[in-house]
Amino acid sequence: MSVSATQLCITVQAQGLPRPADSWATSLIQSRNPAPPFPALVATAKSRLLASDWTTAGLLDANSTISFPANIASANVQQTRLSHNVYVQVLDIENLSKSRWEQVEELEAIERGEQTRGREIIRLPTGNDDNEVSDIGSTQATQALGATQIGGRQAAANAAAAKNWTHRLVIQDCKGQKVFGLELGRIDRISIGSTNIGEKALIKAGTSIARGTLLLEPTNCQFFGGKVEVWQKDWLEKRLGRLKEAAAVSDPQANARR
Amino acid sequence: MRILCVAEKNSISKAVASILSGDTYQTRNTGNQYVKNYTFDFNFQQWGPSSVTMTAVSGHITTLDVTAANKHWEHPPPETLFTCPVRFVTPEDKQSIADNIASQARYCQALCIWTDCDREGEFIGSSIVDAAKKGNPRIQVKRAHFSNIEPAHIMQAVSRLGELDYKQVAAVAARMELDLRTGYAFTRFLTLGLRPLGGPLSGNTISYGSCQFPTLGFVVDRYFKVKSFVPEPFWSIKVSHTKDGITANFSWFRNRLFDRASVIILYERCLAAKRATVKKVQEKPTKKWKPLPLTTIEFQKVATRLLQMTGQQAMSVAENLYNKGFISYPRTETDRFDKGMDLQGLVRKQIPSDRWGRYANDLLNGAFQRPRDGRHDDKAHPPIHPVTFAAPTVLNDQERRVYEFVVRRFLACCSDDAKGMATDIEIEYGEERFNAHGIIVLERNYLDVYIYDKWSDSAELPKFTIGERFEPTEALMTEGKTAAPGYLTEADLIALMDANGIGTDATMAEHIQKIQEREYVCAVSRGNRGNRGNRGANEGDGDAPAGRGGRGGRRGRGGRGGGAADGGSRGSNSVKEFIPTRLGVALIQGFDRMEFDNSLGKPFLRKEFEAKMKAICEARTTKDAVVRETLRQYADVFSISQERFSVLKTACREYVFDQHGV
Repeated sequence: MSVSATQLCITVQAQGLPRPADSWATSLIQSRNPAPPFPALVATAKSRLLASDWTTAGLLDANSTISFPANIASANVQQTRLSHNVYVQVLDIENLSKSRWEQVEELEAIERGEQTRGREIIRLPTGNDDNEVSDIGSTQATQALGATQIGGRQAAANAAAAKNWTHRLVIQDCKGQKVFGLELGRIDRISIGSTNIGEKALIKAGTSIARGTLLLEPTNCQFFGGKVEVWQKDWLEKRLGRLKEAAAVSDPQANARR
Repeated sequence: MRILCVAEKNSISKAVASILSGDTYQTRNTGNQYVKNYTFDFNFQQWGPSSVTMTAVSGHITTLDVTAANKHWEHPPPETLFTCPVRFVTPEDKQSIADNIASQARYCQALCIWTDCDREGEFIGSSIVDAAKKGNPRIQVKRAHFSNIEPAHIMQAVSRLGELDYKQVAAVAARMELDLRTGYAFTRFLTLGLRPLGGPLSGNTISYGSCQFPTLGFVVDRYFKVKSFVPEPFWSIKVSHTKDGITANFSWFRNRLFDRASVIILYERCLAAKRATVKKVQEKPTKKWKPLPLTTIEFQKVATRLLQMTGQQAMSVAENLYNKGFISYPRTETDRFDKGMDLQGLVRKQIPSDRWGRYANDLLNGAFQRPRDGRHDDKAHPPIHPVTFAAPTVLNDQERRVYEFVVRRFLACCSDDAKGMATDIEIEYGEERFNAHGIIVLERNYLDVYIYDKWSDSAELPKFTIGERFEPTEALMTEGKTAAPGYLTEADLIALMDANGIGTDATMAEHIQKIQEREYVCAVSRGNRGNRGNRGANEGDGDAPAGRGGRGGRRGRGGRGGGAADGGSRGSNSVKEFIPTRLGVALIQGFDRMEFDNSLGKPFLRKEFEAKMKAICEARTTKDAVVRETLRQYADVFSISQERFSVLKTACREYVFDQHGV
């Protein structure tokens, strides 16, 4: 064998990701026959890692999967700091700057195939009504749709993120321990629509932990991208229901009406 | 030469005759009591010395209609209305007017059209040409272009006669054909189809109009938005600091968050930091911009908000003022004044006013500034502006209010922006940022005459310097709750129609009036809505506006409650909001639930058609192509509606009769 599993693991680690387990690397190498060039192999290893659930046993090297301290989620500790780097994956994301109901209304409009731009109601492309668009008069609408067409209907929900938006993530270390991550300083790549469920990140040593919540800033965390396809799909499908439920819970009158 | 001039209304005819003749015209009666013939001599550049007969029509003199074979509701079936023959006819009450034109044309070599300069006016002009040619097939035709009846303007118009624009005529003809066919087809289909449900549906005409339904759709959409709204609590942090006896209130950069625990964490960190640091102190000049020149849509929005009248009332008052020569043509999309206009001359005419005369005088003594230029220009009419001074004594109450607004708006346009000084102070407290904002108004300028805008000093801020550290006097975590949006006001509705291409600036107010007359929607005074939580879609049922025209208009529709919610508030000055009736909700829900791409309650189909009318005017397409295409679209919708008619019936049972799951 020309490539050693150790070599592959070291290279992946050198690129900032956690070091995979030797056994995982070995089976990856063996599954590729004839062996591809080394850079291609590294790329494959990285993309598989980013698409995997990092709590899976035997995936990561035990030494690179240091977890959060056991008491991290304690709400009694007003302020402490993370003593070491921790690799994590994102399980959930909320935009705390928008009411749930506002988000429900946006999602329902998109389900109806509409989006509003200011006061104008725009019909979103469904993929099969292109030929219904006549060439006269609808040019404006077509142009407006151009931008959203790329990402389809889902992207339409992801309007330009505001500078003062505050998101809260649920993140999970490689041992399965979950903790909230609150955006203390705006991190541009975090937003609903661009942050995927299962996305991977590194939380750096020194990060503040307040009342069981990690306070994230651009300088104390690094996002690698990636997603776990089934989690993402499930999250998207259930989002509307979750938001509706959460909005209703926060409204005592609605509860009384039930 | 003998010349025939024809205006759109008698008042314009009389005004133009008086200007051209120098008040030496003779008046003759015609077969119609509202229309006179004015005769005088005039020396045309075009035709030389001529004897002129100036007359008028009274709006449209032709109407599009189906033939006798399609007059019956029951037969042939409504879908035939998409293809059956239609023709222009002269209604009985307009016959004498058409006859007058034909008989006058017999003695004349040329015809000059003086109808209002917009699409409808162009179409009426073409009907006048047709009527004249019945008397004299070889009559020569010219068109006068004018936008108000100020003498110098009229003299200029008569020296530059042009041609009728048949592209605009074609666009109106397309609109008339579409409205006729779709209106008849869907109205008959809905009325006959829903009649078996009984109750209020058994005797009423369920009228359809391709603008009315999307307009109703907006009202119903908002109604459900309000009704289904779920309030949610949110939390925020407020910081204030008192220094030198002055208190500055700082607001949180994050504004508010919908999670209490997160705000507690951030708030605690502010408190733990104890002291805040001043990061930015900025003082810079600021302005409040004077308004843009007045368009019809803007005028209607302001009128419904500030002048206590409906859009339609405001338009008819403005039209009276135009007919009397006090203001320019009130149907315009233009929000920029032509560079060549003598604006100062128009300002000068306002000096006699004892209310804004001094202000006008100050403008002429050096304060005058060119108005801002908006981005719209319909190339036909200038923004709405006063043409001459109207003494308050010659106007009735409503006219006075509208005229005053038009004048103040115009003088504001010719003024300088209001100027002030804005102060921004930004602090960092813990990791959180806060901001305080203050304004001091230095020069009021246009605000002195434009009493509808408010801009005043905010509370004074104490002096801070960058880097200064202080312990805030107070830092509070606050809690609030989101509130449902209000129902649509007329200004909201006009703005929605405008943004979504429903109707034109000239017709929006009519559509809004129509959906009220049809009892699809009722207007209720804001703040007079009583127990909002329990309101169903029945408000105002039975509050039938008088004068429903048309067939089968049995009054006293079913439904409960009704009337009381609105009756008491009629005539009060508060802003009106639109709430759909049960029937209105049922119709929109019914069509929406049929789930086809082009629900009649959505604006998309009509918007496309309005754009196509514009395309006809710009010669990018033809009337025949547009009519064919658009009718095919509506006919498709019609056949789907027939197929899924049970969905609409179910919605009616649910909303009109309170029968669920039937």
